Amino acid sequence: MLNVTIDGKSIQVPEGTTVLRAAEQAGIKVPVLCDHPHLVPFGGCRLCVVEVEGMRTLQPACSLPVSNNMVVKTNSDKVQAARKFVLTLIFSDRNHFCPYCQVSGGDCELQNAALEMGMTHWDYQPNWKPYPVDASHPYLVIDHNRCILCRRCVRACGELVGNFTLGIEERGASSMLVCDLGVPFGESSCVSCGTCSQVCPTGAIIDRQSAYQGLEKKVERTPSICVGCSVGCGVEILTRDNRLVRILGLWDSPVNGGVLCKVGRFLPLDDDRERITRPMVRKDGKLQPVSWDEALNVITAQLKPLINQKTHGVAAIASPRLPVEALASFKKLFKDGFKSDLVTSLEEGATTTSASLVAQEMGAFETNLEALQSADCVVVVGADLYHEEQVVGFMIKRKLPANTALVVIDSADNEFTHLARATLNPVAGSESYVLRGLGAALVKLDLAKGTPAGMNAEAELKTAADKAGIRLEDLSRVASLIGMASRPVFVYGRKVNADTLKALVELSRLAGAGQSLIGVRGAANSLAAAQLGLEQPFKRNGHQAVYVALGDDQPSQRLVQEIEGVPFLVVQASHTSRLTAMADVVLPVEMWAETSGHYLNLEGRLQASTPALKPMEGVYSNTAAIEAVAMRLGIDVTVDWKAELQQSPAPVTLAIA
Amino acid sequence: MSKPKISTDWMCGCAGCHMSLLDIDERILKIAELADIRATPITDLKEPDESGVDVGILEGGINNTANEEVAHRMRKRCKILVALGDCAVFGGVPAMRNFFTLEETLKRAYIETESTDSEGKIPDNPELARMTRVRAVHEVVPVDIFVPGCPPDPDVIYYVLSELAQGRKPELKGELLHWH
Repeated sequence: MLNVTIDGKSIQVPEGTTVLRAAEQAGIKVPVLCDHPHLVPFGGCRLCVVEVEGMRTLQPACSLPVSNNMVVKTNSDKVQAARKFVLTLIFSDRNHFCPYCQVSGGDCELQNAALEMGMTHWDYQPNWKPYPVDASHPYLVIDHNRCILCRRCVRACGELVGNFTLGIEERGASSMLVCDLGVPFGESSCVSCGTCSQVCPTGAIIDRQSAYQGLEKKVERTPSICVGCSVGCGVEILTRDNRLVRILGLWDSPVNGGVLCKVGRFLPLDDDRERITRPMVRKDGKLQPVSWDEALNVITAQLKPLINQKTHGVAAIASPRLPVEALASFKKLFKDGFKSDLVTSLEEGATTTSASLVAQEMGAFETNLEALQSADCVVVVGADLYHEEQVVGFMIKRKLPANTALVVIDSADNEFTHLARATLNPVAGSESYVLRGLGAALVKLDLAKGTPAGMNAEAELKTAADKAGIRLEDLSRVASLIGMASRPVFVYGRKVNADTLKALVELSRLAGAGQSLIGVRGAANSLAAAQLGLEQPFKRNGHQAVYVALGDDQPSQRLVQEIEGVPFLVVQASHTSRLTAMADVVLPVEMWAETSGHYLNLEGRLQASTPALKPMEGVYSNTAAIEAVAMRLGIDVTVDWKAELQQSPAPVTLAIA
Repeated sequence: MSKPKISTDWMCGCAGCHMSLLDIDERILKIAELADIRATPITDLKEPDESGVDVGILEGGINNTANEEVAHRMRKRCKILVALGDCAVFGGVPAMRNFFTLEETLKRAYIETESTDSEGKIPDNPELARMTRVRAVHEVVPVDIFVPGCPPDPDVIYYVLSELAQGRKPELKGELLHWH
């Protein structure tokens, strides 16, 4: 521990602490612009300068590590004058005209810093050089006039997202923020995660959807979770007058630590589907708005005779975007109440069946996302992390500059292939041979930890080479990458079948990595749906009615086709779709931002979503709609969903308190 | 001691700061009790007394030779000069035109606007003031007190006026200091 005295206050801090963090610990506020608590210190803006006893010049607090017995003054006249001068230069560098900037009035860190310093004006006029505005991106606008070159966006793009789209060209006064090698933002390698707009201290990177929608200070902020995929990122939902304004990554979230992808940040605000606000019943071939009572009467009349009709009764399918509470009641209603033989989720187990099968056999075999933070080798098998579970992709990509070896094993190339240290493209369906071959190669290279029982390494290698069309030297190169790593992590996706997954688990054990697998699972509650047994394929076979708990999900083409022609269809949904157009009864339910409920993410972490919007009068929660139907039918759907989730072995240890 | 004399004028602005001044409502009576409100664009007297005033307040930036004259006259005749509002302090919204040349701006205003017919022509009467780049007041004459805001809040204006009327220098900080 080091002793440091800041503004007369003595504290102890661990070695490596910067003066800025030490000051924070001592409860002293030092103004910053380029510094961000989630980014590596940069020392670019010089607003945080402090006086250090014994040092000739003022020092930037953000990048100066504390040394023992250091004496720091953060607020002397010299410091104040220097800070005012720094701000004056920043203000006159480009065109910082507050009256026509969308972050003015509380959301601009530059403006706030100047106001805190008591600056009523600045002495130097701007240079009046018009800087370009890059509006080529579908979600973001870069206004170079407002840029202060703090490089927060550049650092966030690299350090947090691992995308390295943003950079700085030229030097000194000619410095400019650029995308890739100077292409328009919209044509760059940007993945639209929007992290840059979340860290920009000024109005230089504007998010189109929320720009000029009102000051961020005047919105309501609700911390909640994203239900876009199985990662379950923490989000902060900004609303005003019961309207979505903006979605930010929640910095405190143990899952994503502030980073979001396009699916979580921008797509929810693009949703322009028509909302369903009243129950509807088909009369004379047309859907007519009716009361809940009437709609429930129709459902009761049609469904009551189908109770206990196993194969000719009701087929039921629910969205894995629904909260656990709704899924558990849904299961109880149709599986236990109706005794239906076809109760499943929209994913039909596509992303979970393999893991469930392996878990039945060997119990929990996966770990959580934290493992990626210390991984020195990541093997991605059958997962497209560019399009799905993108935040997991960011967690991998941002490790690459730290020399983490990325290995991609996939029958087809994806956007991760060109980033990989090594790629294996086995013939589709032969992945399990490749993984066993890699295990054999580990043994042969004497890099395997533990002895595999009865393994014939040479034979396994030959099978891998023959069946998968992989050269032996490639196998052994990848095996040595995995074998040399001290903390390898294996990420697998939906293309992995149970056989391949078993081979993968074996490989990870040979690599000595303990539980080092991470499975990406599709939807927000895919794991919960799997734990509830809602993962059978949806094949209608003489069923007289179908009940779809769609929530705010989109029905697939295949589902619509499979359901077409059913004598009686009930859909509970928040938005109109092809499916609701076909329905005989439509029940209006909440969408994600209105929902209060629980979600089980891919790591088995149980998280609660908090409603940020109030639903319209007469729009029920998904759980309430299921309960209302059940009550009319005289079926009890109260269920201990926490216990229900833990009834079958899970692929990962469930963190359910 | 006689009441301090206050005079105001406006230049390249929108009169919004003077509207905000009027928004102090009945409190203007208190100011009138404490100070002698002389020439302003909203009173009958149009030019600050030649014998001088204690406080001169200018709204708007300076965008032509006529404004320069107004600024110089006010500076010469007042002891304390206040720049009121973002235009006077920074150049404000009119300063957006500084990104273009004067020719481009005039052409856009008098010829290219959608509502102008083919008769549109840039005024060239030699008696008209000559246009310049838009400048903040302090670029032309020294300013003593800056009151930013677009417009400054009536409460801020009231605070500034009451301090000046009582012979104190207003200090804008904390809640009183905000730009738009």
